[in-house]
Amino acid sequence: MTQLILQSAVSGLLVGGMYGLVALGLALAFGVLKVLNVAHGELLMLGGYASFFAFSLWGVDPFLSLPIVFVVLFLFGVLLYQVLFKYVTRFDIENRIKNSLLISFGLVLVLQALAVRFFTADERTISTSYSSEAITVGVVRIPVIRLAGFVVAVIATVALEWMLNHTRFGRAVRATAEDWTRAALTGVDVKWVYMIAFGISAGLAGIAGAMISFGYAVSPSIGLGWTLKALIVVVLAGLGSMRGILIAGMFLGLTEALAAVWVGGAYREVVALVVFLIVMSFRPQGFFGRARV
Amino acid sequence: MSSGARWAVALVLLGGSIVLGVVSDDQQILTIAIQVFMLSALASSWNILGGFAGQISLGHAVFFGLGALVTREMWLGGSALALAILTAVVATTVVAAVIGVPLLRFRDIYFAIGTLAVGVAVFLTVGNIRPGISSLPVDALREYTFTGPYFLTLGVLVVTVIVSVLLKNSKLGLGMMAVRDDEEAAGASGVGPLRHKLSAFVISAALAALAGATFAYFSVSYYPNFPFSVVWTFEAITVVFIGGLGTIVGPIVGSAFFVILRDTLPSNIQEFQVVLFGVLFILVVLLLPGGLVEGGQRLLGSLTRSQAGRAPDAKTGETKEGKEL
Amino acid sequence: MRKRTLLVLLAVLAMILAACSSEGGDGTTTTADTGGEETTTTADGEDTSTTTGGEEEPSGEAPASIKIGAVVPLTGPFAGGGAQVERGYRYGVDAINEAGGVFVEEYGVAIPLELDLRDDASDPNQTTAIMEELGGEDIVAYLGGFGSPVHAAGTAIAERNQIAYLGVATALQALHEQGYEYYFSPFPKSPDIAVSVFELLDTIPEDIRPSRVGIFAETTDWGAELGALWEEAAQQFGYEVVLHETYAPGSTDFTDIILQAQAQDVEVLLSLPTPPDGFAMYQQMGELGWKAPFNLVVRAADVPTWNDLGAAGEGVLLSAGWHPALGFEGIEEMNQRHIDEEGRPADPVVGGSYSLVQILADAIERAGTLEHRAVRDAIAETDLMTVAGQITFREDGTSPITNPLMQRIGGGVELVWPAESATQELVYPAN
Repeated sequence: MTQLILQSAVSGLLVGGMYGLVALGLALAFGVLKVLNVAHGELLMLGGYASFFAFSLWGVDPFLSLPIVFVVLFLFGVLLYQVLFKYVTRFDIENRIKNSLLISFGLVLVLQALAVRFFTADERTISTSYSSEAITVGVVRIPVIRLAGFVVAVIATVALEWMLNHTRFGRAVRATAEDWTRAALTGVDVKWVYMIAFGISAGLAGIAGAMISFGYAVSPSIGLGWTLKALIVVVLAGLGSMRGILIAGMFLGLTEALAAVWVGGAYREVVALVVFLIVMSFRPQGFFGRARV
Repeated sequence: MSSGARWAVALVLLGGSIVLGVVSDDQQILTIAIQVFMLSALASSWNILGGFAGQISLGHAVFFGLGALVTREMWLGGSALALAILTAVVATTVVAAVIGVPLLRFRDIYFAIGTLAVGVAVFLTVGNIRPGISSLPVDALREYTFTGPYFLTLGVLVVTVIVSVLLKNSKLGLGMMAVRDDEEAAGASGVGPLRHKLSAFVISAALAALAGATFAYFSVSYYPNFPFSVVWTFEAITVVFIGGLGTIVGPIVGSAFFVILRDTLPSNIQEFQVVLFGVLFILVVLLLPGGLVEGGQRLLGSLTRSQAGRAPDAKTGETKEGKEL
Repeated sequence: MRKRTLLVLLAVLAMILAACSSEGGDGTTTTADTGGEETTTTADGEDTSTTTGGEEEPSGEAPASIKIGAVVPLTGPFAGGGAQVERGYRYGVDAINEAGGVFVEEYGVAIPLELDLRDDASDPNQTTAIMEELGGEDIVAYLGGFGSPVHAAGTAIAERNQIAYLGVATALQALHEQGYEYYFSPFPKSPDIAVSVFELLDTIPEDIRPSRVGIFAETTDWGAELGALWEEAAQQFGYEVVLHETYAPGSTDFTDIILQAQAQDVEVLLSLPTPPDGFAMYQQMGELGWKAPFNLVVRAADVPTWNDLGAAGEGVLLSAGWHPALGFEGIEEMNQRHIDEEGRPADPVVGGSYSLVQILADAIERAGTLEHRAVRDAIAETDLMTVAGQITFREDGTSPITNPLMQRIGGGVELVWPAESATQELVYPAN
């Protein structure tokens, strides 16, 4: 029993790292542009396919293709910003959220349908020589690729934090997130910040997708499920709090895993959602968000 | 349009629908009509909460589903349809009142995500509890006609529209809109925000349950968790925004647009159809922020105005003109 | 500014449309160009189909084709299975048409079959909508998709429309206990699957024969049905069920139930996951470093991409109702075409689907008319040799057929049961 709980907890935390990674990009776009991109999961799906095809067509190891996937999705994000989300950012904050929700919902439909058309709807997954390898710590087995996914999530979080806090661009991003009009007045090119931030958000989704393509599976319809998890993680962490995302993700993953052990696999997600609602009732600002006025 | 003209159009449409239901036995036309009515009713019910009171709920399908679940279980269990529907609406109203209080403490995006979480949790739970498909028994299949569901759905839509109209012109409705426009100001001027939001939430839920009941009566076979699917919420929201948020006719126009576009394109080019729909949807959101109703009114307005020799006002898009209907 | 957005979006739209239309109807319609835009004689067909056959002289003008409506999951979680069903129908229709079509006495001529195949995206609720749509289009019968949920939804519509419905790749027995008259399914049902796996287990030499059974059942009607039947059969054959866990379909993490199976030392693991769930399950077993020595994965392992799993998926058994090595009449040509086009022997579900077209063509010919009730009655009377063996139907629409079991060995699908037509002996233990 102890082994079951320990092993489940570890699996939950590792899955939670993925939730955090997926939520990272969503939170960036929401925090900076104030757009709620429910097509984030579809960007993740595209990243997963990019990684899958790099592996199956050219034999590129999924870890090696990570930077390429990031760049490809970054560029796609920039394109989406130029074609769609740029126009959303002209609205005031409240209407931005509403309109971006609607537009990205339309985008969900389009990207899913196109993915079915071009990639077929079959489940795809990458199986490498090290797919089944694991490190044993005491009674717990830690699968290598899950651990790697977790490490990628940690690196992405740290890199993003560092960029936001220690670079000129990061300062511009934070200033824009805080109050874009003031940022614009102090000479920040808000449009540029928006575009790059959205690109990074898409790139992060791509990386998450690449990790999912060999830890889990990709198909055109996986997006919404991951978007839902990411939304919950973002709210759980507290809007605007980048650093708590990973921890909130791990919390969600751990809750699900323990719920599966104690309540039963069929109620894993239900219990996690209920816990989420309870946490929200007591801490509406999330774990790490500042209390709202 | 003047108020009289609007009523005349509404009555003509209603009369036409009744005639269609009486004379037509074309399965396809009736099916499309039923779907338009049902989605219109559901969208209108969402519109009371989302459009009037300004609370974007992503968990609306919970109430549609509850209405369907209770109606179906009782009706197939042998109760009279009317009793089943009544019970479904009462039960849903109670549930909405109970979960509404804690949920409505959340605001904006928190409310949206919170209701989404509730919606998904209920969807999964119903799937676990009622895993088997719900099909009409063979005898009922043999006797099935479209006329019954057609008139029930039409009736439910009429009820929903009447409730919306009455509400919109009532003190309660005005209070909802005040809360929508500025919650703090409304609270300061004596309009209880929670009370108004909760009223909108409960009325909206009860009407959604009514729409769900029509689904239960119309559908030959479905998995019991299907009416709880977030798809219904998304469709309702989509058509409300396409038609015109906070208007009475917007949800109906949006539903007709949505269903007819979806169903007249054959399903064997479905990906194409979804892509087309997605792109059209994005276009409407970007280019017609007030929805089809406001777009139509702007067009109508600019026509009459140019006839009167005045230049159309390019800024009408920013006015609340469309909200009047 | 708005104008520019509009232009950009229109350009994107145009590109997308071009991309979509250039690939056309996805090869889903076999005769003529694309489905849907077909202008077959609806009104004429309606008239003739309602006049009952039986008259000697040809009555009315023959329709250009006999239209069959098929609703198949080409996208979504069941797509991997739906693709096989689609291939089976397409090959079947082509074979009939190459032989001149189906002779219909009422018209005194042979008429080609026309398959109107549409995608339900693995969503039972779309299945019903599309079946309604097809029901209005003068089809002679429905062919079903893949997986019990879509069949369960579809059969009720067929029953209401009183149009015959033929389907494979569904083992849900409960569907045959509703009193439906129009639903026929020559496919192994849950009771067959429940028993055959233990018959196979009994052939393992006693000294190494496993005895501890674990069941992973999803929380669906079929999961409950087959789970209970496995329990029953295990008892009957003298095996011990040490674990019976349920999970919600669509789960992404199976750590808890895998570890419990490991803790209980499960030797025979029986499951019926959807393809995505099955992939996740076996992938995670690979990661956790545990796999039962005997695995039956109903449904998920039917899909060719199961091989993506590599070692983690190796050696699992599948119960897909058919295998080319069964050696029935007609398999050879069909299999050859599959090898030519797909580069591998016919996938398991292709055979069953193909046989449905044979059954339908035979029934129409015997009915001598396209009238729905007559076609239904003729199907009920079927006694035909098909690529899936000799087919007859019981009162409830099921068929007495053997349930072959296959095993994934070295990237291929080998027939291991029944022993007389096996292509290879059961590999045990397979972990």
